[in-house]
Formats: sequence, C-alpha cells, structure tokens
Amino acid sequence: MTDAEIQQKLTAIFRSVLDKDSIELTATTTAKDIEGWDSLTHVDLIVAVEKGFKVSFTTKEVMALQSVGDLMRLIASRCK
Amino acid sequence: MSFLSLEFAAFLALGALVFQLARGPWRRLVLLLLSYAFYLTWNPRQAVLLLGITAAVYYTARSLEKISSARGRLGFILPAVAGLLLVLVFFKCAGLFARYFPARRGGDALADIVAPIGLSYYLFKLMGYLLDVYWEKIPVQRNFVSMALYPAFFPQILSGPIQRAGDFFTQLEKIGNPRSEDIVTGLRRILFGMFKKVVVADHLSAMVDAVHANPAGYSPLELLFGGYCFAFQIYSDFSGVTDIAIGIGLLFGIKGPENFNMPFFARNIQEFWRRWHISLTCWLTDYLFMPLRFSLRRFGTAGLSAAIFVTMVAVGIWHGPRMTYAVFGALNGFYMVVSALTLKKRNDYFQKRPLLARLRAYAGPLLTFHLMVVALILFRANSLPSAWLYITHIIPGFQSAGISALRFDRALLHTRQIALLLAGISYAAMESVNWASRQNVWAARFDSAPWFVRWTAYYVVILIIACSAQETRTFIYAQF
Repeated sequence: MTDAEIQQKLTAIFRSVLDKDSIELTATTTAKDIEGWDSLTHVDLIVAVEKGFKVSFTTKEVMALQSVGDLMRLIASRCK
Repeated sequence: MSFLSLEFAAFLALGALVFQLARGPWRRLVLLLLSYAFYLTWNPRQAVLLLGITAAVYYTARSLEKISSARGRLGFILPAVAGLLLVLVFFKCAGLFARYFPARRGGDALADIVAPIGLSYYLFKLMGYLLDVYWEKIPVQRNFVSMALYPAFFPQILSGPIQRAGDFFTQLEKIGNPRSEDIVTGLRRILFGMFKKVVVADHLSAMVDAVHANPAGYSPLELLFGGYCFAFQIYSDFSGVTDIAIGIGLLFGIKGPENFNMPFFARNIQEFWRRWHISLTCWLTDYLFMPLRFSLRRFGTAGLSAAIFVTMVAVGIWHGPRMTYAVFGALNGFYMVVSALTLKKRNDYFQKRPLLARLRAYAGPLLTFHLMVVALILFRANSLPSAWLYITHIIPGFQSAGISALRFDRALLHTRQIALLLAGISYAAMESVNWASRQNVWAARFDSAPWFVRWTAYYVVILIIACSAQETRTFIYAQF
C-alpha cells in the first residue's frame, strides 16, 4: 500500500467517524487541527483504523502517536 | 514561605536578580538552587525525599533506554510507576491507615506522618516523565540539574500547574534572559492572581464557612447562595495561585501551562472539564483514560463508560483519601458518562430546531454551572453526612422546621455585605480582564495606552488588594 493510498483511506475513515466531509489530512495534522477529534473520539478513530486496515495496535504504539504522520507510518509498517 | 508573604517578595526579587546575572548553563543551576532554597523553607526533611525520588527516577529513565526488548521495558517501567504511586498512597493515606493500627504497633507514628508539600504535583510530573520516556514521546534527560529542576521548580511545586516534561525541558534547553514583554506579562499575572485570591476568594470564604458549618440552620435560598459563593471562591483561589505560578515562571523564562479557561461558561460537562484544572485533567486523560479506554475498546459503550468513570473518580481522590472527594469524582463520572453518551443525539436534536438551539446556548452553561455547584458542595463539605444534609436542605420543603424556603437572613450578611459586594464586582472585573487579555485587540489596546493610564490601572489594583487584605488564608490547592 502506498503512502497516498493510506492517506486517502485514512481521510475517509476520519470523515466517517467524525461526521465531517471537510476533513483534509496531512502528515502534520494533529488533534488540535480538527474539531471533534478529542480524547473521547480518539479511540473510536483508532478502532475504525484497525478495522479499516485490518491491523491491530498495542497500547504503547497508540500512546506514542503524536500526529497523523505517526499514524500513517505505523499503518505502513503493518501493511508491508 | 507563602507566595503572599513579604519574605517571598524579597526572595523573588533577589532570585530574579541573580538569575539575570547568571549566564549559560548556570541559569539552570541558579533556578535549581532557588527551588530547593524555597522548598527548604517549608521542610528540610521533605527536600531530601524530593531529591531522593528525583534521583531514583533519573536513573530509572537512564536504565530504561538501555533495555531493548518490549517485555523487558514493560517489566522495568511498571514497578517504577507503581513505586511512585505507592509513595503517594503511603503519605496521603497514612492518617487513614493509622486508624486501623493500635497505637503501640505504629499507629501513633503513622498518624504523625504529614504528606510532603506539593507531593501530588511533583509525583505526577515524574510519573508522566517516565511514561513519556517509555512511550518514546520524549528523549531521556541526561542532565541531572535539568532533571532535578523539573519536579522542584518552585513556582509550580505548591499548587501546580502540572507542566509536561517535554514542554519544560524544551524551554529549559534555550533558557536565556527573559524578554522584557514576558517580565511585564509575568508581573501582571502575579498582580492579577493576588487580586483573585485576596479580593475575591478570601472575601467569599467567610460566607461559605458559615453555611458549611451548620447546613441545617440555613434556608434553601441561603444554602444555594453559599453554593454559588464556594464555586466562585475555589475558582478565584485556584486560578489565582495558578496566575501567580505562571507569572513567576515567566520572570525566569519558563511559561507554565494554563489551568483554567473560563470554566463557568462551559456549555456542557465535558467542556467544563476541558476548562477546569486543565493540567490535571490532561494528565489523567493521557496517562489513565487513554490507556484504559484503548484496553477496553472491545467492550464498546460499556468500556467507554468504565474508562470515563474510573478517570473521574481518580480526579476526585487525587485531592486526598476522603469520601467526599471520591463521591465528588464519582458524581462527575456519572455526569460525564451521561453527557458523553447523549451528546451526539442532543446535537442532532437541536440541529433540527434552531429556536431551541438558541435557547440551549444560554441554558447549557447555566445547567452545567448548577451541576458543578452541587458537585462542589460535596468537595467542600466537612463529611459525607454533612454534604447530604446540605444537598437535601437546599431543596425547598426539606429545610429545617421553622425556616422559610426564601429566608435570607440579613444578619448572615450583616458584616459581610460590603465584602460580598466587593467580591461580586471584583469577580465581574476579573472575568472581564480575563476575557480582554485573551482578545488580542484589547490586550494590544492596553499595552499601547499612555503610561499614566497603565500605571494608574496597576496602582488601583494594588490599592484594592492592600485595602481588602484581611487575614490571608492559605491557598486551597496548596494542601493537595
């Protein structure tokens, strides 16, 4: 899976979970940049990502995430 | 040495001067020496404990980076964090344990143990540091002076805010002489914090103390008023000490995190907790709620509710091992679970009804404020039965016999009328300044005003503080 494909699929997941079609993700996007992406919805997003990409993350991996770029790299490392 | 003492003013002036004269890495050492000098004025033995715990955390983090296997790292970090938690529980609960030990078997010794000043704040900082290193969010701190300064940093050790290690170390790396605008902002924050504490909080405390001493002796109207007064008292007290802490930090080139963002304007309970004691709620969100929520993700709504509830109970008992704090946390957990589970449906409902949505904009903050007034009664009450008495007697019809629901005894206010009026006006002024300072236009207007306008404003505030100073009480959050 290429980085562009991951980004495209991730954007679709974010739009669906947060119910906002206007979301545009980049590698530098963080929770501060997107309204509605808070501590309560964060795990919903991760669960949707796990289902969408058919991967599973550990608590440590999720806690280390600081931006969408980190999440994309984590997904890429699993989808090799 | 209290922040509101002349000795501290002299200490601060001297400390700022020495800091200005120091160069390069010496600045960190000066800050460390100042921090320990400040802490030693409270209790020298407790300073030894602080240094010992800091050294243990420093070597734990350094050893952690040498371990490569995931299992090995987990096996190393878990006992370390558990150890810090045990220290916290031991000191906070010593008095509680003493009740279950006969005096001759150590019960007396346990009862005499006093929790070190600022223990909850510095242990949370150190636990956060270890977990951030474990999760590889930040690099290990190799400089022991920087490491020792982080938990001991004197503006934050008494009542927070709980600054994150990454943020603190980043600022410390490039610490230089503070810019003149930071010094002005810092001095203004200190003045503003003193105003909140001395003028607003301390004048509300007499009324609050009176109604909490004997809730059954007051009418529902008086109890409701007492409830409002405590909400404003604790906010002014705690946000006041935070302002002072942030202001002092700025004099030494360190900007601490904000702890409050006009919480009484929150539209729902989730938003309230994003605006109240922000540094603690963010800490618990990152290090307790998120790992718990993620671990329980397979349980859907039940997992979410459990994670929220446990986190809010932790917010409550962080204040101490008292039933009133635990129930305060549990009640907020209940509020949060209901709010979180219904928020989407409520938003959908109001989206289709614009007229009701407009009403919601006003009703939301009002309802949230009243829910917190009830919760804060629990927080302030002397015991759980006393809180129950207060909450039941606040309901019209359930007050003591012979007291009318709308009675408002002027004698209660007799000597405090002017003080309460002053506190009320001051509160409005306080929030207006708070609001204006966040609007760049107003902040810029004040900064660009002629010098005599600015200096008149400062002198008026100093005069109000000096005139309203009574027997100053310690900051409520200094005891945690």
